[in-house]
Amino acid sequence: MTKLLVVDDEPRTAELTAALLRRAGYMVEIAASGSDALASVRSSSPDLMLLDYEMPDMEAPEVLDSLRSGADRIAFPVIILTGARHAAGDQVLGIERGATDYIVKGTDRQVLLARVRGALRDRAPETRLIACGRLRIDMASGEAWLGERGLKLERRPQLMLQLLAGRPGEVVGREELLERVWGTNYAGFEHSVEQAAHQIRRALAEPGWIETVRGIGYRFVAQP
Amino acid sequence: MESATGSSPSPEVAAALHRLRSTLARLKAELERAQEDGAAPPLGRLQGDVEEALALLREVERAALGLVSVLVVDDDARLAELTARGLRRMGFDSDSTDAFREPRPGEVVVFDLGLYSGLDEAGRSALRALRPIVVTGATDPGSRALATSLNATDYLVKPVELEDLAAAIRRRMAETSR
Repeated sequence: MTKLLVVDDEPRTAELTAALLRRAGYMVEIAASGSDALASVRSSSPDLMLLDYEMPDMEAPEVLDSLRSGADRIAFPVIILTGARHAAGDQVLGIERGATDYIVKGTDRQVLLARVRGALRDRAPETRLIACGRLRIDMASGEAWLGERGLKLERRPQLMLQLLAGRPGEVVGREELLERVWGTNYAGFEHSVEQAAHQIRRALAEPGWIETVRGIGYRFVAQP
Repeated sequence: MESATGSSPSPEVAAALHRLRSTLARLKAELERAQEDGAAPPLGRLQGDVEEALALLREVERAALGLVSVLVVDDDARLAELTARGLRRMGFDSDSTDAFREPRPGEVVVFDLGLYSGLDEAGRSALRALRPIVVTGATDPGSRALATSLNATDYLVKPVELEDLAAAIRRRMAETSR
């Protein structure tokens, strides 16, 4: 299950945000300060953090700096929640320190959920090209090639291939595929996952790239 | 030296501030009346007021801070959101949608031609009035003619680089302020 960390020093705001996210099917932890947040990250490694910009003990940029060791990228997406819009052309608060996105407080809840989903889906926003042996995927356009041959894939199979190839050798469960590719946790879509896997294999037209792990999910294995 | 009376805001800011105060005053009055009557406050109306207040606040912010608001319309919701996020990271105030909606005041519309066939005549004429930036997956002359018919200020072929899109938005803004 995807784990989110909500950081806000104002308990009502934190609880309301957490409740919204829990209803959307996420597991949510709350931290009430910047130092709390850093401790939570260490103890429970969240998949995404929603970080209030203004807190008494430290502001978001400080938290982001502490999450980074040296020049390393932060290992998970961070969305800044802020009460202040910024003037056009200003560097967005926190973006230059490694935040993925920001949300102005009071934004529609559907928009907030869409941004959380979006940030989770593209956990490595700076990587535009995935290359695994002869397979290359352009994350921006969605195009994929095996050697010089372009692969014809519909959108969902393309997203699924992107997800699998982004984590080579790792088994990705059906539930995660459903949530991240189809945006649902409804198990009735499982046959869609199988159909998508079938389409990917047909497009690759070579055995071995996509392994079925019975009862669990799929694994990408780069072929020579 | 600043004058004691401060500088006067633009007419748009003044109007939005005025409406914001009226909306908040109405909200306060509703709550006071409900408290006096010992009745449940009218939730639907209060929620409407709060949303209106936030929309007005956004108008004030837009005018006061010179925000550039952008609405990215693309039938691929994921691509729309990815583009909008990229624009946010570049300092634009951007939102995304996979179905054309009435934009907020001052919003620049980036429209994917893939959605054109789904628009009725009212939608098409609304879009023409907005002078959108048109994005298309196809390079055929038909789509360029379509963009022209939509009164587009710019025409970009996918995959669109964010820098090119940002430049098109800036051109569009410069044109408006002229």
